[in-house]
Amino acid sequence: MNGISAYIARRLGITLLILLAVSFAVYVIFSLLPYDPAALTCGKNCNDPGIIEANRIRLGYDKPFWEQYWLFLSGLFVGRSFGTGAAAIFCPAPSFGYSFQQHACVTNLLGDALPVTIYLAVGALILWLIVGVGLGIIAARFRGKIWDTLSTAFVLVGTSLPTFLTGLMLIIFLVIKLDGSPFPSDGYTAPEEDFGQFLLSMILPWVTLAFAFAAIYTRFVRSQILEISTEDYIRTAKAKGLSDGRILGKHTLRAALAPIVTMAGLDFAGLLGGAILTEAVFNLPGMGRLSLKAVVDIDLPVIVATTILAAAIVVVMNMILDIAYAFIDPRVRV
Amino acid sequence: MLKGKKTLKVALAAIAATTLASGLLTGCSSGASAGTITYLTNQDAWTHADPQRNYTGRDIAWFGSYLNRTLTAYDRAPGAAGSAVVPDMATDTGRASNDNKTWEFTLRDGVTFEDGSAVTCEDIKYGVSRTFATDVITDGPTYAIGMLDIPTDPATGASTYKGPYSTDATNDVASFDKAITCSADHKTITFNLKRSVGDFNYTVTYLSFGPVPKAKDTGDQYDLSPVSTGPYKIKSYKAKDQMVLVRNDKWKADSDPLRAKRAFPDKIVVKFGVAAEVLDQTLLTDKNKTAVSLDALQPTNLTAVFDADGNPVKKYADRAINVYDPYVTYAAVNVKKLNCLPLRKAIYYAKDFKGLITLSGGQALAGDPADGAIKPLMGLDYAKTGLAEGDKDWKPEGNVEKAKALMDEAKTACPELYARATDPARGITYDTRDTEVAKKAAAIWIAALARVGITIKFNFIESGKYYAVVLDATKQGDLSAAGWAPDWANASTVIPELFTQEGGFPMSQNWDDPAYPAFKERVVANLSQADRKKQGAEWAALNQYAMDQQWIIPGVFSKTQEIWGSKIGGAFFWEPQGSLSFGDLYTK
Repeated sequence: MNGISAYIARRLGITLLILLAVSFAVYVIFSLLPYDPAALTCGKNCNDPGIIEANRIRLGYDKPFWEQYWLFLSGLFVGRSFGTGAAAIFCPAPSFGYSFQQHACVTNLLGDALPVTIYLAVGALILWLIVGVGLGIIAARFRGKIWDTLSTAFVLVGTSLPTFLTGLMLIIFLVIKLDGSPFPSDGYTAPEEDFGQFLLSMILPWVTLAFAFAAIYTRFVRSQILEISTEDYIRTAKAKGLSDGRILGKHTLRAALAPIVTMAGLDFAGLLGGAILTEAVFNLPGMGRLSLKAVVDIDLPVIVATTILAAAIVVVMNMILDIAYAFIDPRVRV
Repeated sequence: MLKGKKTLKVALAAIAATTLASGLLTGCSSGASAGTITYLTNQDAWTHADPQRNYTGRDIAWFGSYLNRTLTAYDRAPGAAGSAVVPDMATDTGRASNDNKTWEFTLRDGVTFEDGSAVTCEDIKYGVSRTFATDVITDGPTYAIGMLDIPTDPATGASTYKGPYSTDATNDVASFDKAITCSADHKTITFNLKRSVGDFNYTVTYLSFGPVPKAKDTGDQYDLSPVSTGPYKIKSYKAKDQMVLVRNDKWKADSDPLRAKRAFPDKIVVKFGVAAEVLDQTLLTDKNKTAVSLDALQPTNLTAVFDADGNPVKKYADRAINVYDPYVTYAAVNVKKLNCLPLRKAIYYAKDFKGLITLSGGQALAGDPADGAIKPLMGLDYAKTGLAEGDKDWKPEGNVEKAKALMDEAKTACPELYARATDPARGITYDTRDTEVAKKAAAIWIAALARVGITIKFNFIESGKYYAVVLDATKQGDLSAAGWAPDWANASTVIPELFTQEGGFPMSQNWDDPAYPAFKERVVANLSQADRKKQGAEWAALNQYAMDQQWIIPGVFSKTQEIWGSKIGGAFFWEPQGSLSFGDLYTK
């Protein structure tokens, strides 16, 4: 095995171990919570111990911790059934359990929610990279000039306005109060259903989410470029008589790219766990809404699954970034 | 019906008139059979669509109007007339015999499911059987378990019948088969009850006494695709997205006089997950003129719609109402812990009602001071208890002198509890939901009780698990915020539920109180009282009894506000369900 393959194999192995550890930690935390999951599903008759016990057996919470964890892990590979008799429900592999509050296998809930969040995150990422990096470059290039001042104002507004406020203002003024508004007021349309309507339903959420991030990126890119501009090799390039544009394109930006990519990768991974506020304001049925509802309803199987998935996304994204570095910089492989 | 996450609004009965805006009652004759009505809600999905699990007044009103027929139903009329029970799938409102222990109903001709198959007695029997599968069919009303003549396990008190899904060999199917019997022509259903229930024909208005076709039952998943018997059927239902109803072409109008002339819209859409502020703005600006809100207006938007007297301002005069809902809110007193009447009375007098009601938006919109657990809307069952506005010593801002005098009394009567209540390090505890409003209310309570030397400490509990904590007798504090509405037009669904050990909401834990045995005896006797007038008078007297013992600190006879688009007609408040009468709405 050559160096890079061995490195990737090692990274994959470590990632799998981390995921196992994460799933275990999440499972431990939720089994320690002061909630009785059996009591939580029994509704109005929570004061009847018989009903609570029946629930406990049906949900598998009567088994010892290790067995519960094993059932959870094995469910991921072979599926799992809940309850007995005519009312039994089988969730095929990979099974994250069954949500009795939403009457669905948790895997299906994740499968419905994750694409929505991916669409939201990808669109917003593209938008904020274009705006954030662009404005950052302009601000650095025209440092102290009107463009720099304007971008500083943008950064101030973007970082201080909370997402729910930006989103709400956009909806109220561009959807509800604007007669003949092209944007739909009733939430999400799936792309396979109607692609045009999908784009229209996503534009405002993309803008809302990108606005907050673009401001942060503008500030970051500006300071990166300004910092790199003071490096010796840039001075050398200047002394050699290279044009400002060439220096920026060939030297400064190239050096600034690595940290921007890292930051964007991690921000993107974080967003895949769910953009709770944006999803709530725009009625997008994504991961954020799924997690939020699960937490409010104390829907334990969903909380466990969304937590593990969000952690897994970050861990996997880290692995991808690490491997990408290995290609860029061979020293990383050591 | 408890007020909270799982179960919201429910039935109430009623005689007193509601403050409906004039001109709303346009009647049904002006409705046209066309158009689409769009309901908006912040909820991600219906709490339950399964008839056996539906237990909130608003949801029962909605599903009962469009999809689920029952043997009997509340009449669709504004005011007190709406609380009258009328035949629905049955030919009459039931025939009682055997001292109200046997009830018989006969199905009309032509009642069908959405696939055109006839609804039979066996379908209703199967539907009721599902209530017994308490591990699968959660959250629903359990009157079938409490009333049908089926033995209980002496050790656990649980029914020996475990519902249709049980594979247990000991499942007592035989007893269930005796408790509900069907005639040979499958049209007459007979319920055999373990005790006299004079108002069992109110009980069967619950969707949980409705039919389910056994072949279509999918257990927990039936909540996603219930089979219709009403004028509409579900075309699609997706949580966090929408539900679409279209006309049920198998429904026969002549089998359904209640809904026959009222199935107006061609299509009904429910949009889920609409952000609360977006929802309010959509209706305030009349963006969607045929939209109806399923949620209460947010407190911050109330002043845009209603004036200081609680009447809708001119702009909204035809499309908003402010009415009494079925609820009474109160602080449940854990009598086991606060076993000292003068101290309980001191808390009642020291409470700052004025401060609390101002915080909730003022009396005109939030409601009037409650004088007991029964609301005046209950008519027969209500009588003034001499508390709150009927009490010359009661003051909206609290009567400090009176409370102090009672505290002096407590000092000698119950020195230990007095010492705890007045010790700043210990004090008494109050359970409430962890919300912003509750935190502000806590500050008002703390200041009010401090005036008479009582220290009160707040236990803020996450909303989602609030009732799971306070209904656990071992975890409940000294006082707990609560709310309750009757399940139907009889305080038999209030007094026994709240104040007896066997009740569904026994937060007063009053069974060790010396005053309890006599009370309990009267409650049990009154449940079998066949004379409705006498029964009502006795409920009023027992309400008085509970207030004399201060088993709760009454809060508010609360109000609710509803709003709809300008092109919606036929709206009125349906008192027994505490919501709009959805089935009467049409597009103008």
